[in-house]
Amino acid sequence: MSSHLDSNVIPPSRQREAPGNGTKWIGKSIKRVEDPRFLAGKGKYIDDYTVPNMAQAATVRSPHAHARIKSIDTAKAKALPGVIGVFTGQDIATVVDPCPSFASPPVPQNACAIERVRHVGEVVAAVVAEDRYIAEDAADLVEVEYEMLPPNVDIEASAAATGDAILHPEARDSNVALDESFSFGPVEDDFARADHVVRRRLRWGRASAQAIETAGCLSEFDPVSGGFTIHCNTNFYNFIPFVIAGSLRVSPTQLKMMPIMTGGSFGSKVFIHKIIILTSALARLTNQPVKYIEDREEHFTNSDSHGSDRLYDAELALTRDGEMLSFRFDVMDDYGAYLQFGVGTHGNAMAQVTGPYKIGSFAMRVMAVLTNKCQQGPYRGFGSEVTNWVIERMVDAAAKELGIDPVELRLKNMIQPDEFPYMIPTGNIYDSGNFQEVYRQAAELIDYDAWKAKAATMRSEGRCVGVGIATCQERSVYGPTEWWFLNNVETPGFTLTSTPEGISLRIDPTGKVFVTLNSVFVGNSPETVVTQVLAEQLTVDPADIVVGYADTHSGFNGVGPQGSRFTAMVAGACVSASIKVKDKLKTFASHLLEANPADLELRDAKVGVKGSDKEVAIADIAIQANFFRLNFPDTPEFDSGLETTAVYDHPISAEPAPDRSHLGIFYPMVGHICHIAVVEVDPATGKVEILDYAAVHDNGTIVNPKTLGGQVFGGTANGIGSTLTEEFVYDENGQFTNANFAEFALPSVHEMPANLKLGHVETPSPYTEYGIKGGGEGGRLGAPSALSSAIDDALQAYGIETKSLPVRPVKLRGMIREAEMRDAAE
Amino acid sequence: MKPAAFTYERPDTLSAALEMLAECTDDARILAGGQSLVPMMNTRLARPDRLIDINRVPDLDYIRREGDQIRIGALARHADVKQSDVVRDALPLINEAYEWIAHGAVRNRGTLCGNLCHADPASEMPAIMQVLGATFVAQSQEGRREIPADAFFTGLYETALKPTEILVEVRVPVMAPNQSWGFHEVSMRKGDFAWVLVACVVTWEGSVVSSARLTAAGIADRALRLHNVENAVAGQALTPALCETAGATARQTVDPSHDAVTSAEYRRDLIGTLVNRALSDAAGRASHS
Amino acid sequence: MDKVSISVSVNGRTRRADVPPRLLLSDFIRHTLALPGTHVGCEHGVCGACNVIVDGRAVRSCLMFAVQADGCELTTVEGLGSADGLHPIQQAFWEEHGLQCGFCTPGMLMAAHELLQGNPDPTDEEIREAISGNLCRCTGYTHIIEAIRSAAAKLREASVDTVRPAAAA
Repeated sequence: MSSHLDSNVIPPSRQREAPGNGTKWIGKSIKRVEDPRFLAGKGKYIDDYTVPNMAQAATVRSPHAHARIKSIDTAKAKALPGVIGVFTGQDIATVVDPCPSFASPPVPQNACAIERVRHVGEVVAAVVAEDRYIAEDAADLVEVEYEMLPPNVDIEASAAATGDAILHPEARDSNVALDESFSFGPVEDDFARADHVVRRRLRWGRASAQAIETAGCLSEFDPVSGGFTIHCNTNFYNFIPFVIAGSLRVSPTQLKMMPIMTGGSFGSKVFIHKIIILTSALARLTNQPVKYIEDREEHFTNSDSHGSDRLYDAELALTRDGEMLSFRFDVMDDYGAYLQFGVGTHGNAMAQVTGPYKIGSFAMRVMAVLTNKCQQGPYRGFGSEVTNWVIERMVDAAAKELGIDPVELRLKNMIQPDEFPYMIPTGNIYDSGNFQEVYRQAAELIDYDAWKAKAATMRSEGRCVGVGIATCQERSVYGPTEWWFLNNVETPGFTLTSTPEGISLRIDPTGKVFVTLNSVFVGNSPETVVTQVLAEQLTVDPADIVVGYADTHSGFNGVGPQGSRFTAMVAGACVSASIKVKDKLKTFASHLLEANPADLELRDAKVGVKGSDKEVAIADIAIQANFFRLNFPDTPEFDSGLETTAVYDHPISAEPAPDRSHLGIFYPMVGHICHIAVVEVDPATGKVEILDYAAVHDNGTIVNPKTLGGQVFGGTANGIGSTLTEEFVYDENGQFTNANFAEFALPSVHEMPANLKLGHVETPSPYTEYGIKGGGEGGRLGAPSALSSAIDDALQAYGIETKSLPVRPVKLRGMIREAEMRDAAE
Repeated sequence: MKPAAFTYERPDTLSAALEMLAECTDDARILAGGQSLVPMMNTRLARPDRLIDINRVPDLDYIRREGDQIRIGALARHADVKQSDVVRDALPLINEAYEWIAHGAVRNRGTLCGNLCHADPASEMPAIMQVLGATFVAQSQEGRREIPADAFFTGLYETALKPTEILVEVRVPVMAPNQSWGFHEVSMRKGDFAWVLVACVVTWEGSVVSSARLTAAGIADRALRLHNVENAVAGQALTPALCETAGATARQTVDPSHDAVTSAEYRRDLIGTLVNRALSDAAGRASHS
Repeated sequence: MDKVSISVSVNGRTRRADVPPRLLLSDFIRHTLALPGTHVGCEHGVCGACNVIVDGRAVRSCLMFAVQADGCELTTVEGLGSADGLHPIQQAFWEEHGLQCGFCTPGMLMAAHELLQGNPDPTDEEIREAISGNLCRCTGYTHIIEAIRSAAAKLREASVDTVRPAAAA
C-alpha cells in the first residue's frame, strides 16, 4: 500500500563508535571541568568585560502597547553632563538596517522603533553615557509624545482586527502573519472510521526562561577594518555574524564574535540579535566602545525570548477499545509584535507531535497571530513542550471518556521496542526506544500502584490528592529545516539544511591535548563532554586535556548549544578529530616502533603493537612529532605537528517533501520520559503541593550521569514553574503587569518537591557516536503533563480538568469555585 | 535599574538626624534597612532628594521587655526580632509570622520599624502590630508622641508620621495567658508579599471569647481590622461552625480591589478561608482547650 | 553630586574609594573594586545572586549603597576560596554538581556560608530555608541541597573553622 511517507527514505547509519563497548570515561560522573573558575567567581560573563574608553547604554522604552510616535525631544537628555549621545530610531537607522527575520514574508523590525511602538517596553531611543547611572538619568529626560492606537491583547481578537489595530499595515492588512494547513496521511478516513472523537480547547500561557543573567553586548567599531569586535552572550555566536551582517552593513567576516561564558540561556539567548544590532549601532554612532546590559525589566519587556502562547482546538480519533487512529488540531499562537523565527516553534513540535503512540495520521492548521506584546523566542522545549502537553491532555481525556485506565490506554498505543526506527506521520523518525521500560521504572521508583491506592483513600477522607502520569517524547539533535518547512512552499525563505559542529585538536610537544570549541558555554557542560569523549578516544587522562573556545576569526563551523544537540554533535566531532589524529600518531609510532601502522592501537596514553608489549607514550611521540623532524623520513606524512580539525554534520537528516506531504527527517534522536507526580490541592486556596515525584528519562547512552541528572532536575523545575507559578500577565491595555522577579514567580527551593526521584534507561541511538542522545530539555517536556494529570485526579470530586496552563492558584481556585457553585445549584 | 541621584547624610546621633529632618526642605527619607526603599529607588518609583542614613545612630538597635511590653527599636533587624527569645516567649504570633516574611538576607538587613514605615498593603507586620494593639513611638525635635497601630497606617505606603518624625520604637503588649492567636497567609511563594493574610488574637473568658482582634492585609490599600468579625465572635464559644461563619462574614465585609494578576473574587475567597483557619488555630491554641 | 570617601575591608584587604552616594554596593564591588564574582541578577532584591557577607551577615548588595559599607568588613565569593584552593563549600558544590551556569552560584555560596557558620549540621529543611531567597534557574536546587549537606559534613569532619578572618566580624 502506498503511503505519503514512501519518498522519505531513512539514510543508513554513519555511526563509527558503537555503544556499550566497555567505555572507561563515557558514562562516568566526573566532576565538571568548567566549575572551578565559576566557584571562585572568575566566570567572566558579559558584564565582566570592559575595554578602554567604554561607554554604557540605557534605553528609553515605550510605556504604551500600541501607539504612533509623534515626536521625540532629546534636547534635555543631551544636555546632561556625562551624556555622550542620545539617539532615536531614525538616528540609529542611519547606520544599521532592520533586524533579520526568518519569517517569510518577513515582519519588519528595527532594533529601535521608528514611527510606531508595538509593545510595552519597546525601545524608542537609546542613550550612551559615561556610566549606566547617567545613561538612565538621561533616558528619563527624553520626552516622547505618543498618539494611542488600539492595543491587541487577545489572540482571537487580534486575528480578526482591522484598521488602526493592524500592527504592520505597511506589510500586511491583517495581524495574522502566517496561516498554513498541513495533512499527513489519511486523516479524513481515520476520523471517519473512528468510534469516538475526543475534543478539547486547550490554552498554554506565556512565560519565558528568565535566566538569572540577562542578555548583553559590548561592541567596538574599528574604522580601519570597517568591522566590529563583539562580546555578546548569544548561544549562536558562530552563526550569528551571517545573520546580522546585513543589518550592520558589513560582511560577516568583518564581525569578530568573542566566545564568552553565559549565565544561563534555556533558549533565551539563542539569537539576541536585536541587542547586538542596537549596541553596535551605538558604538558606530559614538565612535567608541559601548556596553549595553539589559536590566531585569528590559529583559522581561523587550527581550526576544517570550515563550509559546497558544490556543488549541484539538481532536483525537479512537476506536471504542482505545486504539488511537488520528490526531488533528487548529492552533493559534500569539507571537507578540514581531516574528523573528517564523513558526519554527511549531516546526519543532512536528518532530514528536503524535507522542510515543502509534497514531497513523495527523493534520493541523497553524496561525501565527501578531499582538501588542513582546516578541516570542525560544524557551526550553521550543514549542514541543506545548504539543507534549496537548497530546497527553488528549490521552487523559480519552481515557476518561472511554472509561479506560490512563496507563493502560498509553501502553496499548505505545510503539513497541522492536518497531524502531519508527516514522511518524509527519516524516520524522524516532531512532530507538523502550518506552515500556521507562514507564516500568518510573512506576517502580515511586510505587505507582501504592500511591494510586493511597490517594484514593485520602480522597475518601476529604483530601484532594491525586496521581498523574505523563509519557512523553524528548526529541534531540535538531535539524534546521524545522525553521522553514511550515512556511508557504512558494516562499519558504532561507532554506537552511546544515547544523555542523566542529572542533580543532592539537597534541602539544608535552603530550597535552588542546581542544578548541566553536560553541559557547551556557550552563551546559561542553568542556566536560569533550574531555570525556577525547579521554575515551585517545586513552589519555582527562587532566591532560585542555579545552578552550575560538572566536569567529580563528575558529570555524559551530552552531552551539540548542535543540539538545550539542553533546551528540560535539561527540561526533571529537570522534572525527580523533580518527585523524590517531592515524597521525600511528604513523609516527610506526616509525619509532618499526611496526606496521595497521598493527598499532592506542592504550593507556600510549601507542603499542597489538598483542605485544612494544609501545611508546603519546607524550614521547608528541615531542618527536613536534620538534624532531629529522628523526623521520622525508615524506609528507611525517610533517611536523599533531593537529587536526573536524566538522561533524548532522548524522541523519532528510529534506521535507516539496509539497510538504511529509516534513522529512529533522529531529530523529528521540528520547523518552515518564514523569509521575503526586499532588495535593488545597481547594480553598487553589494552592498545589507536590507530595512525591518521579522522573525517568531515556536519553540514549549517558556521557555523564551527574550532569544529565542536573539537566533533568532543572528542566523539571522549569516545568513546575510553567505549570503552577509562572505567567506573564498583560492586562486589557497591553500593560505587562508583573514584569519583575517579585511578582513573576520563578520556583524557589520551596516550590520543588523535597524528594524528586530520578531514574535513567539507556537505549542507545543507532545513529550517533556511542549512541548518545540529547537531554537538555526533558524535564520541561514532561512535568506540565504529569502535574496537570495529577491535579485533575486530585480534583475529580469537582470534575475539574486542567485545560489551561499555568494553573496559578487564582485560576485553580476559580475553577473550583465554579464547580462549587454548580454543585450548590444542583 | 539604577537609583536617581540623592544627597546622603549619615548622622551620628538621633538629635542630629531629627535636626536634619527638620531643616531639610526637599524630599528626605530615612534610610534604615533599605530593603523596601532601595528596590523602589532602583526602579525609580521612589526618587528621594535626600537620604538620612540612621544606621550609625546609637541606642536604636534593641529588643527588650519592659513590664508588660516588648520594646523594639528603630534599628532592630528582622533577623534579630525573629531569633529573639524575648519575642518568641511573649509574642509567639510574631515568631510564627516571620516564617512568611522575606528571606534570610533581606531579614538580616531590613528593620521591623522600617518595614512598618513603608506601609506596604501586602506586608505582614502592619497587620500583626494592629492585631497585637502595638503603640508606635514617633520622635521629632518637638519631642515624642505615641500613635496607636490602628491609627498609624493611613493609606497606600502612607502613615501618620509627619515629615519631621522618625519612628524610633514600637511597643507591643505581651500576650496574656488567656490569649491565643492565629496567623495564615497565602502567597505564590513563601517569602513573597501576601495575596491575603489574616492575623487574630483572641482573649478568652473560660471557653468563651471575651474579645477578639482580627486584621487582614492584601485586601485594601492598608492592613485593616475586621471589626465585623470581631463583633461576631465576641461572647461566643469558638466552635468550628462559628469559625466558618466568621469567615463568611469576613468575605461579605471586604471589598478587595481587582488586579490583573490576582482577582478580587480570589482575594475574597481567601479572606473567608483564612479568617476561618486563623480563628480555628486560635481556638486550638487556647489554654482551656 | 558630591562623592564620599569610604574605606571598606574587602576579603581582608582595606579598599579606599570616592563614590557617589547612589552607587550600589553591588556595582562598587563589581566595577570599582573589579571583583566580578558577585553577580547582579535583578537589582530589586529578589534573586539573591548579589549576596555578600557584610559584618558577618549575608545581605543583598543591590539593596545597599556603597557609602553604607564604609568601615564595614565584606566577604565576597573571591574571599571564600580560590580556583586552586577551593573552600570546602566550593569543593562540595563542585563534587555534587551544585552549579550549572554558575551565575547564581556566588550568592548561593554566601547563603551556604552564613548557614554553616551558625549551624554546622543543618537539616535539609534548614538548608532549604537558607537558600529560599536565592533563585536558581538551572539546577532545580536538588544538587545544591546535596552540596550544602556534603559541605557541612566536610567542615565537621575537618573541624575547619569556616569563619575566615575577613568575615570574622
